[in-house]
Amino acid sequence: MNNKLSAAARREENWGWFMVAPTIIGLVVLNLWPFVQTLYASFCEHEGFGHYKFIGLQNYVDMFMNAEFWKATWNTIYFCILTVPVGIALALLIAMLLNANVRFKGGFRTIFFLPLVCAPAAVAMVWRWIFNGEYGILNQILGVKIQWITDPKTAVLAVAIVSVWSSIGYDAVLLLAGLQNIPKSLYEANSIDGAGKVQQFFTITLPMVSPTLFSVLIMRLMASMKIYDLIYMMADETNPALTDMQSLMYLFYRSSFVAGDRGYGSAIVIWTVGLILLVTLVQFQGQKKWVTYDI
Amino acid sequence: MIKLSRIKVAVLMLILLLSLTGCGKSADGKIHLTFQIWDVYQRPGMQAMCDAYTAQHPDVEIEVQATSWSEYWTKLEASAESNTMPDIFWMHTNQLLYYADFGMLADVTDLYDDVESDYYEKHFSEISRRNASGSDGHLYGVPKDKDNGLLVYNKEMFDAAGVSYPTEEWTWEDLADASQKIYDKTGKYGFMAYNDDQLGYWCFVYQAGGHILTADRTQAGYTNPGSVKAMEFYVNMQKEDWCPDQTYFTETAPGTAFFSEAGAMYLEGNWNLPQLMENYPEMRGKWDLAKLPKCADPIEDSESLDQDGRATMSNGLCYSTSARGKNREAALDVIKFFGTEEAQRIQGENGAAIPAYIGCEETWRAAFDSYDEKLDLDVIFDQFDYAVQAVYNSASPKWKSQVIDELTRIYSGNQDLMAGLENMERIVNTETAKKLEK
Repeated sequence: MNNKLSAAARREENWGWFMVAPTIIGLVVLNLWPFVQTLYASFCEHEGFGHYKFIGLQNYVDMFMNAEFWKATWNTIYFCILTVPVGIALALLIAMLLNANVRFKGGFRTIFFLPLVCAPAAVAMVWRWIFNGEYGILNQILGVKIQWITDPKTAVLAVAIVSVWSSIGYDAVLLLAGLQNIPKSLYEANSIDGAGKVQQFFTITLPMVSPTLFSVLIMRLMASMKIYDLIYMMADETNPALTDMQSLMYLFYRSSFVAGDRGYGSAIVIWTVGLILLVTLVQFQGQKKWVTYDI
Repeated sequence: MIKLSRIKVAVLMLILLLSLTGCGKSADGKIHLTFQIWDVYQRPGMQAMCDAYTAQHPDVEIEVQATSWSEYWTKLEASAESNTMPDIFWMHTNQLLYYADFGMLADVTDLYDDVESDYYEKHFSEISRRNASGSDGHLYGVPKDKDNGLLVYNKEMFDAAGVSYPTEEWTWEDLADASQKIYDKTGKYGFMAYNDDQLGYWCFVYQAGGHILTADRTQAGYTNPGSVKAMEFYVNMQKEDWCPDQTYFTETAPGTAFFSEAGAMYLEGNWNLPQLMENYPEMRGKWDLAKLPKCADPIEDSESLDQDGRATMSNGLCYSTSARGKNREAALDVIKFFGTEEAQRIQGENGAAIPAYIGCEETWRAAFDSYDEKLDLDVIFDQFDYAVQAVYNSASPKWKSQVIDELTRIYSGNQDLMAGLENMERIVNTETAKKLEK
């Protein structure tokens, strides 16, 4: 093979670089460089107004010794367990329903997608009223008196419900796209062979939609591990259940921006990134077992 | 697709670039200043002061920008780091030392030297001056206002329960008795003692002869006998039938509960009163103000202030500008004006806040002129006689949220009161010591 590129090919390659340059520059400036800064900050003590003093691993030592941090780590994992499987199962169900021949399909699709268009702050506000222990409509309907947001037992659950509610539409639309790529002929052939609906789901739908399902799973898990805005909006500083619902990102916010301890906050971020990396690696290994890329 | 010629593209780019540099002295030859505040309700008052200034200085234009309290500090710190601070901004006692000690704020100690050499001493109280001072004793802001906390009560509920209205002789026991009676007779809550410092336990601690910080602000005093007495009383009120618990307050703020007629009393800051009058028209005339109840038997010690059982917290803001701002001189001239009698009067008359300028305080009464139903505003002005400066030191931003966490644990029953107070004392002492080392 000829290693030397022709002049035309080289020009084409240069153009290629030129075309992707905006994205690459953007990634480096907006993602990579801040990441390096965060990594450095995690080994420093923030003395104020962007002045950092190198203190080695002290932040990590403090962090691993802190019970609040481990609680937040567990809260985050617990939140993922609550939201990811249920959220994706429901999203797939909705996607399949929307893919079927129902009337007002367009209308339904819009309705399910709507929560995503709403600002998270507004969503959290409305849900706070719904969950209100004294006057909330949820308690009125159920005829119970549960302090959803302030009872440590239900606080994470309440946030999880809102999270699933607001993300389900987006996931469903992605999965719907995956479903629509499945050739109709597969189902026809399958039913001629006498397969039932349930069997069709497991032998055709699930394998065929698995690549989409996989990307939805990865995205949803990452988003769940980074949960912050809903907790910020739904929990006040004086909420008795705060330590039972605060996620890693919320703890990071409180350390970095309320207490001004940005070095410690950065250490929490690096830990979270590590955690997400680990989970994603495991998923990429695991996908070989269940994701089908070729028909 | 629309095809643009190269010249057109170049012109467009140029326009975009120019729009990016639109700050400082601009095309109209005026100096454009930004003025950042965190209270939307005070915007009209601030705007009126700016208008008064620009009427005398037509070459200056000031834009008042309001944001929320929590966003304010995140934004201000980020802008301080990148040296893009607003030209003029409010400073809060909680944060002033952090900014001032880092050299972020312009020193305004000599600002009025051409007017009077002892301008600040003459026209502002000691609390106001301390609230605007850095650790080095220099002033880093021009005092803006002062405030205090007072007891708000529902007259109808008192009448219904046959209890006489709170007086200045009221003690903690009277507060509890009245609450019990109101609860028994009307089924409504009595005094709503929520988890708050400035409008909560701080007042009670100083009434009982205790202290949160020593006078030199270096040591915490949560476990001081007076403090313990006050905390026991304050925290345990939530165990009474007549007081909602903290889970209730998390979802329903005491003010909301009060104005939806669920409870008879709570502590409110005077700065909120004008908007409460405006927002709850159907409640006007049904409620009034009283002085905070006092502690009948305070426990005196060497650190006690001479309070004889009475105390309320007083805080105050100031106007500051960046030490390295582009429009520093122009901004200094504006805040110099903000500290004059004229500007402070405008602030008061617009109902924004009680002016810090001595002699102008009562102009703030104008905030209530438009209402036929009157509040006993004398209470607020009388309370300044024995008000205690709101508690803070340079490590406040570090210990404040940790102390709240500890209190939350006490309230939810996950922490014993005494052990919690010891933790709070340790937290404040550790963070303060760390700050002092530097």
